[in-house]
Amino acid sequence: MITDEIGTLSDTVEEAAPVEACTKCTACNTVCPVARSTDIFRGPKFLGPESERYRSQAEAAVTAGLDLCSGCKLCEVTCPSQVTIQEYIRRAQNKGAEERGRTLRDWVLGHTRLLSRFGSMTAPLANFGNRNPLVRLAMEKVIGIHRKRPLPRYQWLTFERWFKRNRSLPLVGRAREGVSRRTVAYFYGCWVNYNERRLGEMVVHILERNGIDVIVPKQQCCGIPAVVNSNIDLARKYGAENVRRLSGLPANVDIIASSTSCGLMLKHDYSHLLEIPGAEPVGARTYDICEYLWMLYEAGELDIAFQPVETRLLYHAPCHLKSHGMGYPATRLLRLIPGVHLDEVDEGCCGISGTFGVKVEKYDLSMKIGSRLFEAVKAAGTDSVLADCETCRLQVEHGTGAKSAHPVEIVARAYGYR
Amino acid sequence: MKADIAVVGSGLAALVATRTLQQAGRNALLIWPGLSSLYFTYATVDVLGYSDLTTTQPVDQPEAGVAKLIEDHPEHPYALAGLDALRSGTALLTEWLRDAGFTWQGSLARNLLLPTAIGTPKPSCLVPASMAAGDLRRTEPIVFCGFHGYEDFVPELAAANLSRSWGGDDQSVRAIRVSLPGFEPGRLFTSIDIARSFEDVAFRREVAGRIRREAAVDGVRIGMPAVLGLTHDMEVYSSFAAEVGHPVFEIPTLPPSVLGLRLFDRLRKHIQESGVEMVWAAPAHAAELSDGQCRRILLKSAGREQPIDARAYVLALEDTVDGALRAGVHEVIDPFFHQALAHHAVPTDRTDESLFKPQPFASVGYRVSNRLQPIGDDGRPLAGNVFVAGGAIAGYDPVGSKSRGGLAIATGYRAAREAMAA
Ligand code: SF4
Ligand code: SF4
Repeated sequence: MITDEIGTLSDTVEEAAPVEACTKCTACNTVCPVARSTDIFRGPKFLGPESERYRSQAEAAVTAGLDLCSGCKLCEVTCPSQVTIQEYIRRAQNKGAEERGRTLRDWVLGHTRLLSRFGSMTAPLANFGNRNPLVRLAMEKVIGIHRKRPLPRYQWLTFERWFKRNRSLPLVGRAREGVSRRTVAYFYGCWVNYNERRLGEMVVHILERNGIDVIVPKQQCCGIPAVVNSNIDLARKYGAENVRRLSGLPANVDIIASSTSCGLMLKHDYSHLLEIPGAEPVGARTYDICEYLWMLYEAGELDIAFQPVETRLLYHAPCHLKSHGMGYPATRLLRLIPGVHLDEVDEGCCGISGTFGVKVEKYDLSMKIGSRLFEAVKAAGTDSVLADCETCRLQVEHGTGAKSAHPVEIVARAYGYR
Repeated sequence: MKADIAVVGSGLAALVATRTLQQAGRNALLIWPGLSSLYFTYATVDVLGYSDLTTTQPVDQPEAGVAKLIEDHPEHPYALAGLDALRSGTALLTEWLRDAGFTWQGSLARNLLLPTAIGTPKPSCLVPASMAAGDLRRTEPIVFCGFHGYEDFVPELAAANLSRSWGGDDQSVRAIRVSLPGFEPGRLFTSIDIARSFEDVAFRREVAGRIRREAAVDGVRIGMPAVLGLTHDMEVYSSFAAEVGHPVFEIPTLPPSVLGLRLFDRLRKHIQESGVEMVWAAPAHAAELSDGQCRRILLKSAGREQPIDARAYVLALEDTVDGALRAGVHEVIDPFFHQALAHHAVPTDRTDESLFKPQPFASVGYRVSNRLQPIGDDGRPLAGNVFVAGGAIAGYDPVGSKSRGGLAIATGYRAAREAMAA
């Protein structure tokens, strides 16, 4: 980019560029999975920096099609000038929702944690309902959740309770002085807590196997469901609560997330989109689980006495993982395990983008965006499709019938975890 | 993060360097700063179109032309990279295109002469097969076909210009326009939107019928803007050409070029799926040096800086857009070593008022050694294990000479070989 202040530019972390930095190169439009799948979407260049010039604090200037941006951020990872395209779109979507009034669905999908808590408390009933065609028809009519979209199963025993039961030491300060090398705080997120406790158990097992003490601080939803359902204020409230709790951790405690988008919220969006005071130091010590394990490996601290795992796997990199700017640590990690045959697929966005593909009017678009990936997965015919993000896994399973897993599941197996 | 060899960039030089390392069995890490602006101007790979800026006589044999240029200008980036690097790099790219599922034509031995969107003849070395039927050394009459409402390609202009320089006889070049179903006048659309529609069988059958009716006579070839499919280079083209019933050729449009999109998307996808790791969304911005070696470079990742600690580095950035150079009011500096690459009393010194003259800013860049290492004012390498490829090399001005692709290939290949040896 061109600027007067070259001196100050070079040493800041993640500088955000102003709208003027947009050179109108259209790189963002060419990669946008929504623009590539429907012609009613005007694309990130127009809806982001170009429209931003005409948006005022007072008025939303909601442009047609704004709602169709799924929030995948592929435009941002592609923009050579670091324009925060998606943040502009997000803020405008939020403003639009404020003006027109939020729908019941915005509320429901934004409050995933509340919903999941309820779902988990009533697990058998909720799971039955989520699979009952009549209930689903009603949900489609009343809330606007597409009836064909499989909803995740809830589990009655949450990860939080499992951890309390199985790790008797007090939550903070378990670090065995002199014995363990590190202590990490696990940000498990709503998914692990209410839907896939086993993934959390595996994360704890892997870390402990490496002599790391795991603590589980009290936490709130990371806020991304609220962000993507146009409720930035709610997301900020959740985020501020997390920042407050996580900031209180001793300085030598690293924070781990096993969910791609939760991790990205902590690392980046809290301090950028949500502008939460004090978020930067929290983001600076937050790591994706695979990123962290790879760091241990490079430091010579990872236990690599892996049992062979004979399996053929296909790795799909979630869009938000690309935004982390850390490469694909899961692939490096899995290649350390004997017997693992890992292929990679680069077909871009899977189409679900969190709660985007759940919505009645976006379901078909979401499946169309994912179609290239689905074809590639079917053609590859591997044992399982790996993705770090849970909604990618749901989408791939739904679109292909293939099995899917988080990469740490393979690491856990290589450690003999059953 | 540790790496064997880190390549920074997203253009053709970066891709060729990465592929060179991969084919040699080395572990390359591709650090991708976002799409370089070049993505949109590429359509063909040009090695040398004009031997100097004063001539209008196109180069017929690019390899021989480059050999002569190297002899006459020992400081030229082609001379620094060497003719062997151009040859080996071109062989590598040609094979890679095939492996990645492309059908391309051409060789270093002879340029093709293809019409541009404004109807001027342009020498090109390697081209997508979908463009080849446009070769002006063939004799069939040409019908340029445009679309109503799509002004990035004006067939009347192309026909008027081409009939002046080629054929001469008015019968040999003609312009027609057809309307595209669903693209009503008044609707805003780009070549990308049209290309997406062409992936639909019914759409292209309908358009093929309209073109057949408009073109009317036999024995002609149809030149159309390059919009025949977004992702595959031949699938849409082959079935469409068959339905039109005449030879069809694609013509690169104004950016965003669908041809560039197909090329870069597919090469990037192929190199990742064949096991090269890419770091997205993390611009590289500083090099840490000690004892004449670069120890690490720093990336701006989410949340913090990510150090990349490699044995050697290939810096294959292109211009100010992808962060290769940072232009202030008076100085242009490089992001890694923070050295001033150019001083200008006033910023307008960087540009020439005539669009058709070489632009001074285009040749600003790293001064490099004969091993493509960046050098300081004393002529000595700034770091022994860093090598520069692509547009950020000083004196690299491929526009007038139509040599962008060849320079990227030669410097990308050479920088990768040097990085392996470092
Ligand atoms: S990629 Fe960035 S610079 Fe290019 S048009 Fe989009 S926002 Fe503008
Ligand atoms: S975030 Fe994704 S869907 Fe939205 S504009 Fe950017 S690329 Fe398109």
